[in-house]
Amino acid sequence: MSSGIQIRALNKSYGALHVLRQIDIEVEPGAFTVLLGPSGCGKSTLLNAIAGLDDVDSGEIVIGGVDVTDAEPSARGLAMVFQSYALYPTMTVRKNLSFGLRVSRMPKDEVEKRVAWAADLLQIRELLDRKPGQLSGGQRQRVAIGRALVREAQVFLFDEPLSNLDAKLRTEMRVEIKRLHQELGSTIVYVTHDQIEAMTLATRIAVMKGGQVEQYADPQTLYEKPATLFVAGFVGSPAMNFLPGTVVPSDGIAARIDGHDLPLAAYPFLSEPAAGDEIVLGFRPEDIGLAEDGAPGVPVEAPLLFTEPMGADTLAWFDLAGKRVSVRLPPDRARALSGGARLALDLSKASLFSTQTERRL
Amino acid sequence: MTHTAVAGAIPRAARRPARKASASRAGLYAFLVLAALFFAIPLLIVLSTSLKPMDEIREGSIFALPMAPTLEPWSKAWLSACTGLFCDGLHVGFWNSVRILVPSVILSVLAGALNGYALAQWRFRHADKILTALMLGAFIPYQVILYPLVKIFSSLGLYGTLPGIVLIHVIFGLPTLTLIFRNFYAGLPEELVKAARVDGAGFFRIFLQIMLPMSVNILMVALILQVTGIWNDYLLGYIFAGRDNLPMTVQLNNIVNTTTGTIEYNVNMAATVLTALPPLLVYFLSGRYFVRGIASGAVKG
Repeated sequence: MSSGIQIRALNKSYGALHVLRQIDIEVEPGAFTVLLGPSGCGKSTLLNAIAGLDDVDSGEIVIGGVDVTDAEPSARGLAMVFQSYALYPTMTVRKNLSFGLRVSRMPKDEVEKRVAWAADLLQIRELLDRKPGQLSGGQRQRVAIGRALVREAQVFLFDEPLSNLDAKLRTEMRVEIKRLHQELGSTIVYVTHDQIEAMTLATRIAVMKGGQVEQYADPQTLYEKPATLFVAGFVGSPAMNFLPGTVVPSDGIAARIDGHDLPLAAYPFLSEPAAGDEIVLGFRPEDIGLAEDGAPGVPVEAPLLFTEPMGADTLAWFDLAGKRVSVRLPPDRARALSGGARLALDLSKASLFSTQTERRL
Repeated sequence: MTHTAVAGAIPRAARRPARKASASRAGLYAFLVLAALFFAIPLLIVLSTSLKPMDEIREGSIFALPMAPTLEPWSKAWLSACTGLFCDGLHVGFWNSVRILVPSVILSVLAGALNGYALAQWRFRHADKILTALMLGAFIPYQVILYPLVKIFSSLGLYGTLPGIVLIHVIFGLPTLTLIFRNFYAGLPEELVKAARVDGAGFFRIFLQIMLPMSVNILMVALILQVTGIWNDYLLGYIFAGRDNLPMTVQLNNIVNTTTGTIEYNVNMAATVLTALPPLLVYFLSGRYFVRGIASGAVKG
């Protein structure tokens, strides 16, 4: 059984520094929510507040229908995995796993049963009698996850659990965590600054910046319809291309970029800009095509700067309106380029932002 | 012979000179031996004098080795030398010192560790101010506050009692010990305490089951500091311990400074070695931990 989390109007300051501002997040039971953002955005503080390790100034935290805003961490029915693993160095893996259960005076045979279950699930059975110092990074991470699992908590909190691992192990553990989530169906709140981790793991992502939630949506929506300029720039690798433009009247309205007018009739506006407004147009590298290949959209001539082969596809960088613009192309198509190309800018796939408010239009 | 030709074509940097017994190295060793002798000779004289009968000492050559070594002065120092009015030897003072030392060391080290852990890992309000106050405490010479302390202790009825002298040692040990432990615990990741709190452990359980087992090296450092400090203390013991609990150092002073009769240098020397022995043993037995503990955080930070 897993429980949901409701966070309402949460505020927290360290002196003059307002690290959490009016946070409102609702986590469904069984959801995998990722808190994503650059360092210092307040994501770890929010996680610590949920865990009860940091006091909050105002607002409330409800876990599984119980207001736990002022409850001790151990009374919140959650388990947590830390970035530095935080294994107790003088205890064996077995003792590490069972520490919390022994603290709560659980009967011995039940403790052993749970430790064995977690050890099997994480394939760390043969490590049970070793000390953390004798384990590799990946093994330590498994033990840290195991220590959370044995508590059979309603909610699991992960604080950048993979950032101390090398790239290969990180990918492996990512798959492992996803598998565990599907197997156990528990609610997970996961903090990371790595947007790939966020995209691959989450059912919903909360992008944070400056102590505020910029957008809280499922990964696909976040990627395709970013709510703010910050989210658009932060999510996606390579990053979204931004082109500054002006709204001009032409058969309805159009966006003028570097002398080209792109009709905006097909764009699903949230709020329509007026003629003369400054806007930013965002294009994902895969959403720009080549006019020669029959890609839809307004053709714009642009000189080629250089190409970056990435294996499965190649990133071609063009100079457009004084900005570097990346286009994702099949490798052989990119090799055939010389000098420049006519890029097809398709507004139906673009994201438009107001320069002034930095919000999606 | 193409190999040599190729190798010869590449210029080679000057080789490191082979390590050989050069003149400078001989000089180095000579200096080290001299320095060792300089520090060892007083101790050797003390030991050799303590083994001589008085006749040999009266001959006046303090560098001469004992012709007829005897343990008589040692047993006299231990069992029957006169310390003021009583002639029961040093062993009374030895056991007094042990009775003062054991509770003082255990209590002060535990309190220092607990303080350091609280200051480093539980960021409570005004923790930094308390730390500053402790720093001040560590630097105030205790001679300055002796008189008020005597007044306070006598009005509490603790003056001249065993609990009184133990309390004094615990109080004077706290600032330094707290700083040592705070620096050690500040070097541990704070996530450890967070993890334990999520696991449901409280302040004392985290201290006893997680922090203390990690602190073996630093505990040894604290132990050595306190054992030597408290054992070698003279002034506090003399003032606060009371006549029945005078520590070994005070009794040693009484033996050595006796002004009646002949001065028994051999007994004095034996008594001195006996008094210095316990801290010496502690250093020999735990020197390894001492170095390790210092490296692991006693001095850093």
